[in-house]
Amino acid sequence: MNNANANVYQPDLMEVTSVRRQTADVKSVSLRFIDPERARNFSFKVGQFGIFSAFGYGESTFNICSSSNWKDRIEFCFRKVGRVTEAMWKIEERDIVGFRGPYGNGYPMDVWKGHDLIFLGGGIAMPPIRCAVWYALENRADYGDITIVYGARTVADLVYVDELDEWAKHERVRVIRCVDPGGETPDWEGEIGFVPHVFERAQVKSKDPVVLVIGPPIMIKNTLPILDKMGVTPASVYTSIENRMKCGIGKCGRCNVGPIYVCKEGPVLTMEQLQSLPADY
Amino acid sequence: MSEMISQAGLRQLLGDCIAAGTVVAGPTRIKPTLILYARLSSPDELLLEGFLRPDNSIKEFVFPKQEKLYGYRIRGNNIELTGRDAPVPSQVVVAARPCDAAALPILDRIFNWDFKDEFYNDRRTATTVVTLACNQHDESCFCTSVGLGPAAERGSDVMLFAHGHGDYEVRCVTDKGRALFHGKTQKSSMEGRADAGPEKRFDPAAVRKFVDRHFEDPFWKEHALTCIGCGTCAFTCPTCHCFDIVDAGPSAGNARYRIWDSCQFPMFTAHASGHNPRAGQPGRQRQRILHKFSIYPEKFGEILCTGCGNCTRNCPEGIGVLSVATEIDHE
Repeated sequence: MNNANANVYQPDLMEVTSVRRQTADVKSVSLRFIDPERARNFSFKVGQFGIFSAFGYGESTFNICSSSNWKDRIEFCFRKVGRVTEAMWKIEERDIVGFRGPYGNGYPMDVWKGHDLIFLGGGIAMPPIRCAVWYALENRADYGDITIVYGARTVADLVYVDELDEWAKHERVRVIRCVDPGGETPDWEGEIGFVPHVFERAQVKSKDPVVLVIGPPIMIKNTLPILDKMGVTPASVYTSIENRMKCGIGKCGRCNVGPIYVCKEGPVLTMEQLQSLPADY
Repeated sequence: MSEMISQAGLRQLLGDCIAAGTVVAGPTRIKPTLILYARLSSPDELLLEGFLRPDNSIKEFVFPKQEKLYGYRIRGNNIELTGRDAPVPSQVVVAARPCDAAALPILDRIFNWDFKDEFYNDRRTATTVVTLACNQHDESCFCTSVGLGPAAERGSDVMLFAHGHGDYEVRCVTDKGRALFHGKTQKSSMEGRADAGPEKRFDPAAVRKFVDRHFEDPFWKEHALTCIGCGTCAFTCPTCHCFDIVDAGPSAGNARYRIWDSCQFPMFTAHASGHNPRAGQPGRQRQRILHKFSIYPEKFGEILCTGCGNCTRNCPEGIGVLSVATEIDHE
């Protein structure tokens, strides 16, 4: 390897330490740095992303969905939808993947201190919420009540189901699971309905909460009026936007939304910021 | 007094460079009807007169169409990174147009904010730009509308001005340029000339004002009606720099490359979910103008256009920055 520090496109090599099938088309992967020095020095902020690669196939952008407090590994989660993720679907323990990052701004966990936290997620949006939930639970004293509303189309599409149960055991944590109407099974004990409606029905009482809402545009759109009724201003509502990226470092040009490069000034934006941008995301 | 070099002297200088292992690139006839900036194997291939400008730009000498970022070897579970290719030792781009040379300092900004792109920087540092001031313009040229002109020095290490009898006045702009021409010029009393340039056609500030306020506007749809989305505008543009990163698999030697890309292509912004923020050509045309006249100036303080006219000249449908910007300014 020549001049390893200078080539900003060259990835770290990471060994796959575990692979877990979350749904029929979603897997989560745990990685550790091959280079012990890199492993020691690496740090990131929850909400940042990485560019992960399958050698011979290409690079793909995913949120680092593990907590930044976990020093022995990083995790990502993906749905099998294209060429690179088809290749990643086949990776097994001890395989090597590429990683570049961390990139992007991450969640302002310090700014969120002292507030109740409300997490609203749909489908594959759970991984970028999961990292923040774990971080908040690991720094429990810093945050108020935590509410998590997580929904998917069907019961089989929910990811990190076991962790939802684990979170629910914590004090001052309320976890609400839901599936779209028709997506329930006979033994489903969660709610039935779309995330915004289920959230509204839950009548969460909170003063000045911070809300992180990630999911399809329609979900976010339908959530905003409910938050508005609760008196939550757009400056306290955060999301992570998912523009297509390649370089991750503000050069390749594809994640432009108005004046911002999502890979640099995002992906975490408040609704107030998002509303000031052209609808190009 | 001025410095001059004869055409024969210039070719001699370039021949010496080639012999010394320097890459020399300049306008050359690729096909009977096609003139491009390309690497020259002999100084005789350099075309200095009798045409307006090459159909491409000099950006490919600092930002090649495809460039290996690093290689890798796959052995079972194991991956070994094999690094990048050796940087280009030195190169001279000769008879660049001022609108091509000016693109380089503009591109320096994107490739160096925060993360520094060593591939670009290595080539940029290794490159000496010898610009030939323009002696003609056509109806697609608009350098004067974007603050440049036929004798603009920006981005050039040396300016050449034609005397009209095969000789060139040499004006060195940088130390790099002085080093290249050191001892190769003669004193002369003649001064070279440049064209007066095209009339100003539009005001970039007016374009910015419009695009910042008309994100949703039927204007974009009208403009995109004839666009076939071929990306020629971007590929022949001196300043367009969007790229993709792709793997050349085992059959191609196992390497990761960056390749030129364009905001005019549907896949450019397509999300994994299937959602595409720019689902049609109007949004893509808008992005190109928005990026050049609003996004880049907002971020880096200058517009992403040098007025070369390549987009208009090479577009199979005759669309380009000039017609769009002119129409915006006159509305």
